[in-house]
Amino acid sequence: MPVKGIKTVTAARNGVGAFILQCKRLDFHYCNYGGSSRGMLAFLTQTLPNFARENPQIEIRVSPRHSKHPIIKGHYINGREKSICVRNLEPSDILSKAMILKDASGEKLKQQKKPVASLNESVRGIWSPYHGDLRGV
Amino acid sequence: MKRVQLQRWSSTVLSPRARTVSRLHQHLYGAGSRCQSTASPLQVDSNAQSNLGDASFEDVELMKHVRSAHKRKGNLKYPSPPVDAAINSAKLAALHARLYLPSRLPPQTLARALVDASADPNADFNNESLATLGHDLLTYYTTEHLLCTYPRLPLTVIFAAMYAYAGPKTLAAMAREWGVEHASLPGGEVDPGLLQFRRVEPGTDIDATPNARTPRPYAAQKAWRMTVTSKIFYDDEFGDAFKGPATSGEGVTAELASATFVRAVMGAIYLHAGRPAAKRFFEQHFLSRHLNISELFNFSQPARDLARLCARENFEPPVARIISETGRKSRHPVFVVGIFSGQDKLGEGAGASLIEARERAALSALKGWYLYSPLNVRVPSSMEEEGAASWKPVYVDLGEVIV
Repeated sequence: MPVKGIKTVTAARNGVGAFILQCKRLDFHYCNYGGSSRGMLAFLTQTLPNFARENPQIEIRVSPRHSKHPIIKGHYINGREKSICVRNLEPSDILSKAMILKDASGEKLKQQKKPVASLNESVRGIWSPYHGDLRGV
Repeated sequence: MKRVQLQRWSSTVLSPRARTVSRLHQHLYGAGSRCQSTASPLQVDSNAQSNLGDASFEDVELMKHVRSAHKRKGNLKYPSPPVDAAINSAKLAALHARLYLPSRLPPQTLARALVDASADPNADFNNESLATLGHDLLTYYTTEHLLCTYPRLPLTVIFAAMYAYAGPKTLAAMAREWGVEHASLPGGEVDPGLLQFRRVEPGTDIDATPNARTPRPYAAQKAWRMTVTSKIFYDDEFGDAFKGPATSGEGVTAELASATFVRAVMGAIYLHAGRPAAKRFFEQHFLSRHLNISELFNFSQPARDLARLCARENFEPPVARIISETGRKSRHPVFVVGIFSGQDKLGEGAGASLIEARERAALSALKGWYLYSPLNVRVPSSMEEEGAASWKPVYVDLGEVIV
């Protein structure tokens, strides 16, 4: 056999074709008695139905967590989860926290040092000392 | 192995949900048409149920809970969730929206695509038929894309590229990237948004399954020569031997079950939303993935192949010449060698020795030949669109060089 094929797997490029939102589940925990949950209770009754309607990709769970501060917990496709405590926050602030979790990729936050990250090899190529206009010293 | 008690699972681990028993459901399940399950179903005590119906407690709320609990218990009879449970599943609705599936594809079909044949052997309720259709569509679209875009690819590389685009490993990775979760154990009470399949028993040798289905004559003769051309006729689209079908009651791997699910989604889109939607789904989810085809080649003797290729194409025989070099007597010499056919430079490569540089140059020349791609290529299935321009034949190559 002159040439053999090497079995590999194609790499995903989220957003090149289809875009898959990385946040797959948001858990909203509240307490019925605690004062820190007052804003959360208002958020759950007033803002959350609209939020859920605008983001059908996200499974939303609401459950009580007795005698604890209210939190929002996001579950991501990469298996990680992120949670934000929303004690004593107004419904509008809670919405912005929910948006933070919705837009997150689930990865740990890290500094992006390169302006472009790409799977494609460089168009220009790597500089070679043996090609082009050779100059004598 | 200790048997897991389904009843306990249903109340603690799996999310409870009330189910209304529709007429379709009664027709399907009530008439005794579903008595095919291999799993020993948990027998519901019919006396207890009739007693429950007669009892009239004052507390309406309590009775509602009791009834829903009994309904859940009733679902334990079935190997997969009932059809109407799909409407109430938040997971399923989220998955539907996440994939931007067409609204004409109902959640019930998506729920069926999530039920593997190992979980529910009944062909009316598992995804086997959808997966068969989806598999054919996937392989057809991938094949025509590869053959029209890279008409000169050797057959082994086409097999490898097919595997990379539509192989089970890729499909399983896609299911993972879609956020599909697996149910621990299939059953009627499980959330329909989870992928349901019966797992392989620990310690099972997966590769030991007999190739009972392979149509290849004399398949038992392992030492006999197996040509690449015979793989087209006798083997599957990846050039591998057909695996025997999983017998009922046997588990499947998570990779295989995920791949079957992705194929079933493709088939379901084709059935419910039509050919254009299926084509669009293929382009957005499969073709958009990154694959560098030039990395799929594995040459054993590139210089010999190139010489044969030049002889076949009536080019002048290839000659390797040094283009530049440095440090020939040093510890790290670099030679840049070009392969020339007459005045034309076919390829060029750099290496630490003359032989290595020549091999690399021959390799780049061969890749330059095999990776030829015509401009503005059209695939045959584009003729199915409305108002398509008349078909112009695509470039068909002689094929790879035979050594």
